[in-house]
Amino acid sequence: MANKTANQTLFKHRGATGPALLLSRLILSLSMLSGVVSNAVLADDHSRCEMDDRSRKVCLYTPAQRIATLSPGATELTYAAGAGDQVVAVVSYSDYPPEAKDVVSVGSHTRIDLEALVGLAPDLVIGWVTGNPAEQLETLEALGMPVFYIEPRNFEGVASAIERLARLAGTESAGQAVADNFRLRMAELAAQYRDREPVRTFYQVWDEPLMSVNDAHLIGQVIEICGGVNVFGEQARLVPRIDDEAVLAANPEAIVAGGMGEENRHWLTHWEQYSNLTAVADDNLFFVPPSLIQRPTPRLMEGSQILCEKLDIARQRRERD
Amino acid sequence: MLVRLGFPLGLLLLAALASLIIALGIGSAQLSPGQVWQVVLGHLGDIGQDEGNALARTMVLELRLPRALSAFAVGGLLAVAGALMQVLLRNPLADPYVLGLSGGASIGALAAMLGGLGGLAISGSAFGGALVSTLLVFGLVHGSGSWTPSRLLLTGVVVAAGWGAVITLMLALSPAERLPGMLYWLMGDLSYARAPWSPLLLLLATCVIVMPLGRSLNVLARGPQQAAALGVAVRPLEWCIYIVASLLTAAAVTTAGSIGFVGLVVPHMLRLLLGNDQRLILPACALAGGTLLMLADTLARTMIAPEQLPVGVITALLGVPTFLFLLYRSR
Repeated sequence: MANKTANQTLFKHRGATGPALLLSRLILSLSMLSGVVSNAVLADDHSRCEMDDRSRKVCLYTPAQRIATLSPGATELTYAAGAGDQVVAVVSYSDYPPEAKDVVSVGSHTRIDLEALVGLAPDLVIGWVTGNPAEQLETLEALGMPVFYIEPRNFEGVASAIERLARLAGTESAGQAVADNFRLRMAELAAQYRDREPVRTFYQVWDEPLMSVNDAHLIGQVIEICGGVNVFGEQARLVPRIDDEAVLAANPEAIVAGGMGEENRHWLTHWEQYSNLTAVADDNLFFVPPSLIQRPTPRLMEGSQILCEKLDIARQRRERD
Repeated sequence: MLVRLGFPLGLLLLAALASLIIALGIGSAQLSPGQVWQVVLGHLGDIGQDEGNALARTMVLELRLPRALSAFAVGGLLAVAGALMQVLLRNPLADPYVLGLSGGASIGALAAMLGGLGGLAISGSAFGGALVSTLLVFGLVHGSGSWTPSRLLLTGVVVAAGWGAVITLMLALSPAERLPGMLYWLMGDLSYARAPWSPLLLLLATCVIVMPLGRSLNVLARGPQQAAALGVAVRPLEWCIYIVASLLTAAAVTTAGSIGFVGLVVPHMLRLLLGNDQRLILPACALAGGTLLMLADTLARTMIAPEQLPVGVITALLGVPTFLFLLYRSR
């Protein structure tokens, strides 16, 4: 198994196995004596083992020195864990922190250029459970690269991902501080805002098609700690597709939207035509920069802070009326 | 006879080998031809397996080779399936994509993927989808007694449109994070392909099985009445062709998603060049279709590397102008 393969012996002990080799032998080889390097039996004395978000144990002999992060979120979390200097490969849209833009890209998270990735010889690959093609990550494992899957689904998941990445990368102290700070800050926000007067909130993820989030979504959880009530929280799908009519029927008190860019507010002006909406009547159309709230990373602290403050503005406007 | 068949096939085999070499030699990782050659040699003669070559070996033998062979197998399967359908329908427009076979297979595979199944279940489900599509089209056309190829073609096209709508519905209802993967898959994509075994064996087996039928197919291509008069069991042969074509399409779709135009364009080009002898056309289709897709996939994975293009885009971009040219010239 790949996760039993020690990282420093990546190519040395990779056994010549797999259908590809067998087939190539059939086609190319005249003799049956091609060199089968037997899989060296590795002693089970790994110093660092961590459980990934697919509940698989991934073990390394030594801290990972060449890390490939296969989603923008994974890149951000790895940098947050203090292991930014060890990142050798990222995917497109890995734009935070800014240093990550200078790291070699190996394609998009939906299609990875395996050759480019293998050529960089990473000793740890950070995969995205639902975002990366499973077959490609299985190929990497078959080639002997340990793949650590992450996909934080709640605040604790973000903190623990940072801790686990830090341990795998040998940057425990830096990662621990970031994770602790994140836990503390989110707990503070929750303590401050969760029990205030509920504000019926609609969060708009996308405009065409119109999409929101349910309560299980990370953004839904932010709304919850800010003392908001997500009007589409009961929807079955994590990211429900809805229409204007559903929003009018739900009549939220506040509408929060991201947008295509960081400053783009035109999704909100769309709602101004419905003057009957409480959110429009009270002027509670709020913009939160999407990168601060849509990625499961420490920047969520900032995004949550903004969202909580916006919902509090809605409360104050209610008192004023 | 042997020379007449052997010469073009020999040429096509050479072209296939040449494009295999290109596919092995080119990639986003810059390997020198010498390195690639050493890997191949090292593999042949068990020499030169030092540490420095380990990375090159991985690239060539475990990433490029399985993918290139999968591309070859899929291209061959699609081209042979297209050639068979064109004989069956005596219509140049017939191909698994146009007739809804690919659509049926795609739905089967997508449903299995959405249901969290994997491996053999996806293949089986895709074959089921292709077969249902086949039965639907043939059943509807045969039900009314006599049938004409154009009626069959029209039925196939409409069924294909129906599958298209079902696929769109499935996409609309699937979780957002799965969409990019499914879309790529629908556009045809070989980056999943790791096991070229079964499609390659199927391609080989089909060629071996269909070759003896070449004479009957030649007669059938002239029309069912003539074929029946010459002692060909027309109905069983037609069913046999359709089921084989479904099987080939299902295997191709499960390996690489739905790739258009290979099944349409390759048989046409070969017929223009080699005449309409099925004993020659079918193996030639296997070789030429495989070569085309192998080259298209090499383009798809290197053109804007590290970003990867779906190979279906390349085959369609190559296939559309070629087909339009053929159509224009044949007026």
